[in-house]
Amino acid sequence: MTITTPISGSAAATAARADGTPLLEVEDLAVWFPITEGIVFEKHVGDVRAVDGVSFSVRRGETLGLVGESGCGKSTTGRAIVRLYKPTRGAIRFDGTDMAGLEGAALRKMRSRMQMVFQDPYASLDPRMNVAGIVAEPMDIHGVGTSAERRERVKELLTTVGLDPNYAIRYPHEFSGGQRQRIGVARALALQPDLIVADEPVSALDVSIQAQIINLLERLQGSFGLTYVFIAHDLSVVRHVSDRIAVMYLGRIVELASSEELHRRPVHPYTVALLSAIPIPDPVREVNRRRIILQGDVPSPVNPPSGCHFHTRCWLRERLGNPERCVAETPVTREIATGHEVACHFAEDVDGSREQRQSTGQGALSTAAAPPAPGSYAPAASSAGSSAAPAGPDSAVPAAPPAPGA
Amino acid sequence: MTHAQGSMAADARPGLGEPLLTVRDLVVRFRTHDAVVYAVNGVTFDVAGGETVGLVGESGCGKSVTNLAIMRLLAKPAGRIEGGSVVFDGQDMVKLPESEVREIRGRDVAMIFQDPMTSLNPVLTIEEQLTETLRAHKQVTKEEARARAIELLSLVGIPKPETRLKSFPHQFSGGMRQRVMIAMALALEPRLLIADEPTTALDVTIQAQVLELIRDLTQRLGTAVILITHDLGVVAGMTQRINVMYAGFIVEAGLTTDIFANPSHPYTVGLLHSIPRIDGKDEPLIPIEGAPPNQRVAPVGCPFAPRCQWRVERCDTENPGLQSVDASSVTVLTGAAATHRIACFNPPTHEEAIAGRPLREQGNPA
Repeated sequence: MTITTPISGSAAATAARADGTPLLEVEDLAVWFPITEGIVFEKHVGDVRAVDGVSFSVRRGETLGLVGESGCGKSTTGRAIVRLYKPTRGAIRFDGTDMAGLEGAALRKMRSRMQMVFQDPYASLDPRMNVAGIVAEPMDIHGVGTSAERRERVKELLTTVGLDPNYAIRYPHEFSGGQRQRIGVARALALQPDLIVADEPVSALDVSIQAQIINLLERLQGSFGLTYVFIAHDLSVVRHVSDRIAVMYLGRIVELASSEELHRRPVHPYTVALLSAIPIPDPVREVNRRRIILQGDVPSPVNPPSGCHFHTRCWLRERLGNPERCVAETPVTREIATGHEVACHFAEDVDGSREQRQSTGQGALSTAAAPPAPGSYAPAASSAGSSAAPAGPDSAVPAAPPAPGA
Repeated sequence: MTHAQGSMAADARPGLGEPLLTVRDLVVRFRTHDAVVYAVNGVTFDVAGGETVGLVGESGCGKSVTNLAIMRLLAKPAGRIEGGSVVFDGQDMVKLPESEVREIRGRDVAMIFQDPMTSLNPVLTIEEQLTETLRAHKQVTKEEARARAIELLSLVGIPKPETRLKSFPHQFSGGMRQRVMIAMALALEPRLLIADEPTTALDVTIQAQVLELIRDLTQRLGTAVILITHDLGVVAGMTQRINVMYAGFIVEAGLTTDIFANPSHPYTVGLLHSIPRIDGKDEPLIPIEGAPPNQRVAPVGCPFAPRCQWRVERCDTENPGLQSVDASSVTVLTGAAATHRIACFNPPTHEEAIAGRPLREQGNPA
């Protein structure tokens, strides 16, 4: 096997992006981890239901964001896709082949087409290998090219991710966090995969470096026609990189929609709460924002609540007078609008609510047409009293260009 | 479900006025056998009673070290305060003997750290840890301390405080541990609370709970807060004033509303363009190229110059120092009229700040 395609932006990549066929289809995926007791005789006493019936598909060239809080199962889902975990039930069809049942050589062969980028750039690189060794390792394992070809390829890859190819002889400890993440991306690209599962790829990085890596991933997707599953807890990052977003809570997808739709019109009470909890870097908007504070913590996935997993913390259920249906009946995933799926019995009650509007700061935005006060030094107090908050161009420097006529 | 409102306005807070904490030209260095780390290079700021002030910056910018120095908690023997003064309530913390600093810590100034697991003692119950603080500073009996501990736990919203007192830290979730930390910090109703990345380790919905708790309690008790964070969203909602730090220097300071409405230092502008936002339109990110400087080298010139798109020649050799943005002669350090100051020879214009890049010929080094 030799390396055939040199690294460059290709027409094939653009063609792949336009193709609407799903590259990855996940159907009713469940990953349970057994809990055992006893030392000599291990007794199976229960399961951690990390992922419990998740279905979605990812089109070729698309980025699907998986978002949720710690323990929601987003990372487990990602790892099950590349078969680092064996699914308890369900199907993972990659390019038409069910990965869930594959073993041995067949699995290894499929795996070369999907790669992972991990969160911690310190822990995911072997400290005893130099950069050339790290980036070439996937090629070594899959027997790609001669050693001279691999060396060349490593240099190309390093250049592609914005590192000096002369760094190939250095070791991970000589690099900063952002540079290490670039090395991790170069390694993921080495086998020219179709799919990259990026598990919190920027969470460990400083803000200014985060933006560098996000832009790098976007550029690479454009040039190589990559398909991403982007896993993160930060909804603002996920929104920025994703075409579509799946919101997870306690092992299930509660809402799935296009990135813009999800932000404009979240219809699951959990999504609304999650959005409203994200601080917006704008003091004027923050002062006018009402957030939904969820009570308590996420329940244990060992013994998840019956019915809707979110019912124990749901603000909407409380408002509706605690209907029994949420406890008794698991909500089925249904389409509330084209391409917008939600698993909530009462999603229609969220739609159009004040909570929905205010979750993304749109409550304060409704009066954006009001004349802005350029260069205003008015303290937040002056606008706090009135509902007509001046959300003018000054208060939204990175977000919006000045309105015409301002 | 409760609805929380954003931060109250600066001038609506009680006890505002006299500076409670005055930090002047603070210099902190770490000396190891083969290197000197220039961690904090002349930091000056004030905190008035009842104010919430943000210290914002990325890893290694000196925001945490500044506050460890204020509390005289620098790792010894490497970390040393090598210049400047830290006056808390009329006393210079730098010169005070350790025994007196110990009195002030906990009673007048308290601290909450990022990781509640490592800052709580895993082998002591919550009761032992909470009452320890109370009994170290006040003449109270065991029963009185216990009663107060129960009161504190219910204050921070921990259900069934009587039974939870007997629990160990590992029996709490991350958010609950941070609540315990807050209870300990506020046990003696300190006048200043230093919160060092208090919600960074928490999930976003739990972060919202904890931030609301800190805001609520400190407002009620009139406690001044120094909030250390890298998250611009958190400071926007929590603080009245901000100091933006980079490589051991404050590069921009002023009212939170002023800084977000009119970011004037290239680093602040860069930070704001580096973060995607959930409100408004999704704009392309403009990253700050390069990486922060090596702080083992003595700083020369503006620390941000190597990464700065607005760099001019003198930036490489001279440090600009903090100057008011509108060249006014009077500098106000605290309160609602605080002066907006930046350390920059060639600040971006308002249009450039919105664009995220220089729009003038002479400002562009390229």
